[in-house]
Amino acid sequence: MAIVKIDNVSFTYPNEAIPILKNINLTIQQGEFIVLIGQSGCGKSTLLRHFKRELRPHGTVTGNIFYKDYDLEKLNAEVAATDIGYVFQNPDNQIVTDKVWHELAFGLESLGVDSPIIRRKVAEMANFFGIEKWFHQKTTELSGGQKQLLNLASIMVMQPKLLLLDEPTSQLDPIAALEFIQTLHRLNKELGITIILIEHRLEEVLPLADRVLIMDEGSILFDGPPKEILNSLPADHAMITALPAATKIFHLLNGIGPIPLTIREGQRWLSNQPYNCSSLHTPHTTTQNKSDVVLEAKDIAFRYEKKGRDIVHHFNLQVKGQEFLTIIGGNGTGKSTVLSILSGLQKPYHGKIFLFSKALKSYSSKQLYQQYLTILPQNPKSLFVQKTVLLELNDMAQLHKVTEAKIQETVQLFNLTHLLNRHPYDLSGGEQQKLALAKLLLIEPKILLLDEPTKGLDAHSKEGLAEILKDLQTKGTTIIMVTHDIEFSAQYSDRCALFFDGSIVSEDEPRAFYSGNNFYTTAAHRISRDILSNAITCEDVVTLCKKTFV
Amino acid sequence: MKAFETFHPIVLFSFFVATIGLSMIFMHPVYLTITIFSAISLNIALRRQLFFKDWKLYVPLFFLMAIINPMISHNGQLVLLYVNGNAITVEAILYGIAIATMIVAIMLWFSCYNVMMTSDKFIYLFGKVSPALSLTLSISLRLVPRFKHQLTQIVQAQKVIGMDFTTGSLWHRIKCTVRILSILITWALDNAIDTADSMKARGYGVKKRTAFSIFIFERRDGFVLAMIILLFFSNLVASFIGTTTYYFYPTFGAVKWDMTSILFYISYVILLSIPLVFEIWGALKWRSLKSTM
Repeated sequence: MAIVKIDNVSFTYPNEAIPILKNINLTIQQGEFIVLIGQSGCGKSTLLRHFKRELRPHGTVTGNIFYKDYDLEKLNAEVAATDIGYVFQNPDNQIVTDKVWHELAFGLESLGVDSPIIRRKVAEMANFFGIEKWFHQKTTELSGGQKQLLNLASIMVMQPKLLLLDEPTSQLDPIAALEFIQTLHRLNKELGITIILIEHRLEEVLPLADRVLIMDEGSILFDGPPKEILNSLPADHAMITALPAATKIFHLLNGIGPIPLTIREGQRWLSNQPYNCSSLHTPHTTTQNKSDVVLEAKDIAFRYEKKGRDIVHHFNLQVKGQEFLTIIGGNGTGKSTVLSILSGLQKPYHGKIFLFSKALKSYSSKQLYQQYLTILPQNPKSLFVQKTVLLELNDMAQLHKVTEAKIQETVQLFNLTHLLNRHPYDLSGGEQQKLALAKLLLIEPKILLLDEPTKGLDAHSKEGLAEILKDLQTKGTTIIMVTHDIEFSAQYSDRCALFFDGSIVSEDEPRAFYSGNNFYTTAAHRISRDILSNAITCEDVVTLCKKTFV
Repeated sequence: MKAFETFHPIVLFSFFVATIGLSMIFMHPVYLTITIFSAISLNIALRRQLFFKDWKLYVPLFFLMAIINPMISHNGQLVLLYVNGNAITVEAILYGIAIATMIVAIMLWFSCYNVMMTSDKFIYLFGKVSPALSLTLSISLRLVPRFKHQLTQIVQAQKVIGMDFTTGSLWHRIKCTVRILSILITWALDNAIDTADSMKARGYGVKKRTAFSIFIFERRDGFVLAMIILLFFSNLVASFIGTTTYYFYPTFGAVKWDMTSILFYISYVILLSIPLVFEIWGALKWRSLKSTM
């Protein structure tokens, strides 16, 4: 049975010439798990919001949307609120109340449901989601993953038939994201909820999907099961880079037959290929000429409260000039704290930091932040004060007496020309990040510290970020980045360090580092481990395989 | 194990209203003694370590208030000495001590109130009066810690780009502070759009809201509530017939020890020791349960 039918819908935002949705036709069957993907700005969020009447954007619409044969426009308000649930990107913003139990009850309270019924439904959902342990907690005390699960649960309490999710895991760490996606899978399998999900993490999501929709410039480019995704996508389409590693390798090696989606399928497919590369080793990429150590941490120990436990202890690190170092590690272990210690924002109670062989303490904060280092905050919004992108850059230029020519150069480097008159808040996540970075880099710091810069970015924006970082590196900047993003770290950094239990437990150049790890490694390595000893990216696998074939 | 805390919010709230209300009007030495002792014992039972820390505040406060009164009030017949031609009297000193006792006792009651009446209980009670008000309270309580968190992020980010509000000239500091607040407000408003969407998406405004709570009114709640109300009124009667009245000026009145007065004193003791009794009873019961397990 069709649950939603979209009939020739087009949509244009006010004051825009080109429609963002162009003649969309779509029928969604009850119980389907649909993944909606596309590059940022392709209109996928706009389309998703059209399924939920209360959230429809302002603008001109043509065409009709039907929910179970009723015109969505004329649907009873109560049915519209309960039957269709919507989960947003930011876990924090959608929580309304201060207690977990109150948040769960919020929707039913709004609909005027009596307490005994609310009690039962809340209990049921708290059980399904395993929320009992933190049922009485304050919502501000929850982790990001718990917050997003709470958001999902507080919608499920209303017993929706259709769930819409707009990048729900983009702000979560990989483990919490996986848990969230598995919960969605359970909802779909055990309760038969129809799900439409916008997601960047295709590695985990695609194997679960019944159907994939790829959007491109306002229309639907592909509509079908994930296994057929390659058949109808142009070989050089931008979405190819976002596909799971197994699929990407299959595609790049021109594989034939059923498409592998998961690691296991990828391993199976690769082992059945005529490639026998076990004897082949890529030479170790020669480490860069050893320039001087620019930043050094010796025996650092840090805690937030006098009686608290050490967040960082026995922490030692040496960073060389012009190096790109990534620090990876679990969630909430203190990686961000390390960055704020290295940048001088937090003071360790033990140990010393040396910047260009001089104690960090001996620099005045003006000297330090104007000539030596800068740190990109996790949320770029903490930097934005002005109405437009251009004013934002000028503001920074004024503060530090930067020349007009330098602004122009930065605008070129970051490719911001077409955005100069936009409001910073109207930019996409990737663009906001770029602007924040551009702003900080106007003063040409020697060391750049980044706190999870790939969080919430799609594959394309990540590539853009990597290009900029590489460019800065060749110009002499040293980059230290804290991240969850193993793939990014493997592909672009010069050295990786694993942060665990307060200190760096291992560090090496990425190839040695990731081929030595069993679990903490890239998808490409997990796929190819049996036949290739040290391939860590999809490109590695492809180069190695092609070599043996010739 | 906090036994009294598990009672229904309405019981807790009525207890504190009755107790704090009566503590505020009774200046009779017997009543004051009862008040301060029950307030201290409940505080020790509930807050332990914290209570002993607070003494650093209460003791000086107590003496300060006890000293101020004889300095400004020169009534009374039992003159101790003259300072600058003004009489310092025993009545004024004791009246000062009485006021100080009362104020410290009320502060102690409020610290117990803070332990027992958590925000969700308070919100629940007001939800009964006005669901809109209780939702507003709940939203505000969620926003305060969020703003604090965002503020630290902004302050750090601005420090790195040279807008450190803790250094520089006064003008620079003001400029930085305004800038930080402006970012905080813009950011908060942007977040609020999402929150509003999330409320709308969950049917906010579709119907008249009900107020759900996790609190259940049990029989024991009814029993204790009735007891509190009864004792409260008996104390009001005591106050009405003059048992609780006591004069410090022109000189001390007499404390009555007749049967009626003693009965009224006892009713005050019972009212004030309700939570303490449940605390002790709960602890004992828990111990005996543990030993039979």
